[in-house]
Amino acid sequence: MPTERDFQISPVVQDSVVHNSRTLINLQSLTASLFGVGAGILGLESYYGFLFYIICSVLTTLLFYVVRVAPTSIPSGKAAFDTSRYYRSPYEFWTGGLLNGLAGFILTWTLFYGLVRA
Amino acid sequence: MVPSLLHPPSQLSPAAALQLSQQAPAVLQSSPSTVSASPLSALFRTSETPDLWAKYENLLLSCLRTGDEVAARQCLERLVARFGDDNERVMAFKGLLKEADAQHNGDLDRVLKEYDQILKDNNTNIPITKRRIALLRSMGRVPEAASALVQLLQFSPTDAEAWSELADVYFSQGLYPQAVYALEEALILAPNAWNIHAHLGEMQYMAATATGAAGGSYNKYMAEALKRFTRSIEICDDYLRGYYGLKLVTSRVLKDAVKPTKQADEDEFTLPDTTTVEQLNELATAKLSEIVRHYTAQDLGWRGYDELEVAAARELLSKDGSAIER
Amino acid sequence: MAQIPVQTIHRDPQLFYWILFPITAVMILTGILRHYATILMATAPKKLDKKTMREQRSLLHGISVRGSFHVLSKKSFATRRDALTTAYESGAYLKDPERRGQAPPNPMSDPSSMEGMMGMMKNQMAMIIPNTLIMSWINAFFSGYVIMKLPFPLTIKFKSMLQAGVATKDMDPRWMSSISWYFLCFFGLQSVFNFLLGNDNAASQMAQQMNQMGPPGGAQMFGPGVDPDKQFLAEAENLAVIEHYSVLDGVEQRLLDSIVV
Repeated sequence: MPTERDFQISPVVQDSVVHNSRTLINLQSLTASLFGVGAGILGLESYYGFLFYIICSVLTTLLFYVVRVAPTSIPSGKAAFDTSRYYRSPYEFWTGGLLNGLAGFILTWTLFYGLVRA
Repeated sequence: MVPSLLHPPSQLSPAAALQLSQQAPAVLQSSPSTVSASPLSALFRTSETPDLWAKYENLLLSCLRTGDEVAARQCLERLVARFGDDNERVMAFKGLLKEADAQHNGDLDRVLKEYDQILKDNNTNIPITKRRIALLRSMGRVPEAASALVQLLQFSPTDAEAWSELADVYFSQGLYPQAVYALEEALILAPNAWNIHAHLGEMQYMAATATGAAGGSYNKYMAEALKRFTRSIEICDDYLRGYYGLKLVTSRVLKDAVKPTKQADEDEFTLPDTTTVEQLNELATAKLSEIVRHYTAQDLGWRGYDELEVAAARELLSKDGSAIER
Repeated sequence: MAQIPVQTIHRDPQLFYWILFPITAVMILTGILRHYATILMATAPKKLDKKTMREQRSLLHGISVRGSFHVLSKKSFATRRDALTTAYESGAYLKDPERRGQAPPNPMSDPSSMEGMMGMMKNQMAMIIPNTLIMSWINAFFSGYVIMKLPFPLTIKFKSMLQAGVATKDMDPRWMSSISWYFLCFFGLQSVFNFLLGNDNAASQMAQQMNQMGPPGGAQMFGPGVDPDKQFLAEAENLAVIEHYSVLDGVEQRLLDSIVV
């Protein structure tokens, strides 16, 4: 665990951290709504819908990692699936999206389920 | 760095400033001449962004630098149309234009009187206060500028720009301890600014060489200059000025053969031992020659350096090389 | 186990056009309206007179010295600390030194502090008024309908919430009335607003609630009812307890270790 002194020696710029996590949250909340549309049109119900959501959002995060994070973080000496070059904690990166997008997902899921199955 | 209108142009080379100000007609034409402040029309037009106004400000500064006062006046008109006559920043820009128009010292005196009048009405108008200081300084009344700066800093001690200006004023007067103090204040407000670290190192190096090796504070200044340059490289590992300064300091320390004396005062920094200094010197030499080599070859990713700075580094390296051969 | 037959309710498709879409559209439009309304209602920061500015910025100065003491050498830090603590303790930076030690004025009677309160009130109002209006609008026009079925099962406890205004005992709690669609929109439209208005929008209620629950930021620091003298004394104490070290200690070795040519 880095101490306060380590942060003073190699500072982390707060603006960049905010920008990074904001980019991720934007992507996640937008795609979550789209997954809701998909789940609604497919007519998924109860557990299958949530499973669909979890799989899809993990897949999105994975793609985000492969496309945006990996090309610069692996050459800089980080191990694969290590996001510490751009994000504070791995939990925030890999699972934060699930909660961020949930409300949007349920909204569009319900809407399109209702429209298609009415 | 490609010159962009989004950054203040004060650090640009004349060529880059000219290039920017030549964009003026295009920029002025591409954006609408008035952005109405009314929200209804804002809904239907392309929305204004803070970037747009930053562009106008920087364009204005570039145009003034290259003598294109017509375009500068247009920029100012747009700023006035949007923010009104009594906006503090706009007031400062208006003053700047008047200063640029001034033909002789009498005109400048009149502008100075106007500033005084504005400040009498509103004594917290910081942009105008700064303009006044800059004007005083450019008219050669440096002591007045310094005391005005000190007054400004008394009621606004969190202004890094003012602190570094004060440091510069003291520095130009040869008052090194005061300059160092002021720059340290700027550093407190921006603790990770590698350029301020390096600049502080430069000042301390100058202070050390000015007093000479015999002076009592020589060791202290040298040690801190060395550490400042090292720190600036640690934060930004391809900073040319940092390496340049590091090489300068370490060569000097090696040449003067200062003993890392055990100082009585525990609070001061002490010079590292000679092997470390030598290693640092080698590191700086290697990095400098790498930068010079890549810059000369115009390699991708190495083009951002200032031409004059690279030339100075090359000169330093060649001087060093011939000294070894001799 | 016998399969429970799935409840089907035949609904007029017109319900969608006349209930679902109006509610959604109104929710989105109010969000956008609220965003622009907060922008328009934002007042320019109030002009400070010289003394107030000095008081606030001196305190900030102390805080930044405390925050980045590590860039200084021990000696320069010590000089600054001594100067600041003496000035703080003697009250040299106070706006009106003779009022020192008295209780701070009642924030309600002080006109300058009222403005800050008004700003907060305005934001609150921009949130509460549209919500109340929409809720009562929905209750007045659209109550008593079942419009949709949730795609996931819920326990019976949600029945009273989702089916408010529909007094049917045996209906599956998955069926929801228009007011529950309102709540879904309330929570789920965040991403839509992000998409439409950019990140810093004031449209989403969620973000605003988060802000209010968050730790008091810079606005509260100089807010009404805070005694600057106490702040200065606290800051002097904070400065005094700092154990100084510098990032410049051992920087040469760190650099030699980290940079390989």
